[in-house]
Amino acid sequence: MIPEALKAKWFWYSVCCVLCWGGWALVSKLGTNEISAAGMQFIFAFGFIPVAFVALALKRLEFERSLKGIAYSLGNGILAGIGGLALFAAYRSGGNTSVITVATALYPVITVMLAFLILRERLTWLQIVGLGFAVLAMVIFAL
Amino acid sequence: MHVPVWFWFALVVLISWGVVGLLQKLSTNHLSAEWALLWLAVGFFILEPWLYPGRVIFAYSFRSLGWAFLGGILNALGAWALLAAMKRGGKASIVAPFTALYPVVVVFSAPIVLHESITARQTVGVVCALAAVVLLSTESSDTSPH
Repeated sequence: MIPEALKAKWFWYSVCCVLCWGGWALVSKLGTNEISAAGMQFIFAFGFIPVAFVALALKRLEFERSLKGIAYSLGNGILAGIGGLALFAAYRSGGNTSVITVATALYPVITVMLAFLILRERLTWLQIVGLGFAVLAMVIFAL
Repeated sequence: MHVPVWFWFALVVLISWGVVGLLQKLSTNHLSAEWALLWLAVGFFILEPWLYPGRVIFAYSFRSLGWAFLGGILNALGAWALLAAMKRGGKASIVAPFTALYPVVVVFSAPIVLHESITARQTVGVVCALAAVVLLSTESSDTSPH
């Protein structure tokens, strides 16, 4: 299973994502030492502009008209923004950065359940055990 | 039982980002990763009028503003990579949990960068959470609809 994954492009894109988001979480904590949660999310959004335009420029892509795709992406941005705001507020509350980052990174529990219900992707028994571990972790963090 | 304040914020993150994980997959079914990223950024800007902190923004230090902006760039690069992963055949139920392993970077870096340490109980929670994410990213051998 692992050698197969190592050959897949999606795997390496995912590794890049992990490294970038790890750096993002660290610098976000540093920023929230001074800036309010709303201010952080406000400034944070501007960081997307150069990356989005570089991405489009590199690909030389023509405009894509899919209204469904645009609607999903806009909803994605709005919900991600609300989540980001809550994350910055959590960082500012003074909790431990590692614990907050780990706890908030349990969001795939919701994604996996929705993928099961809406996208009809099957759950393995390992994933079901994973859901159990996630619940256990949240109970420990809440104590 | 005293539930820490951050925990309630974390629940908001879990629910909103949990739905985001699904929308990412749905958006890349219709758009390239690059256009999905651009419209995602537009979605962020829809919230901006409510987030604008007022003139206080000019009182923040350049360093803190720089961290916030750098955070945006790093998050955007990560989101681009994530959307590209989903566009190139990664399943939502695999890619979303896999990329949620980014706290590993934080757990190992925080003691050095932020000079923070965690308690024994929190360590157990962190191990459980990371185990959960690893298990959630295991691939099904049968991908047919249930």
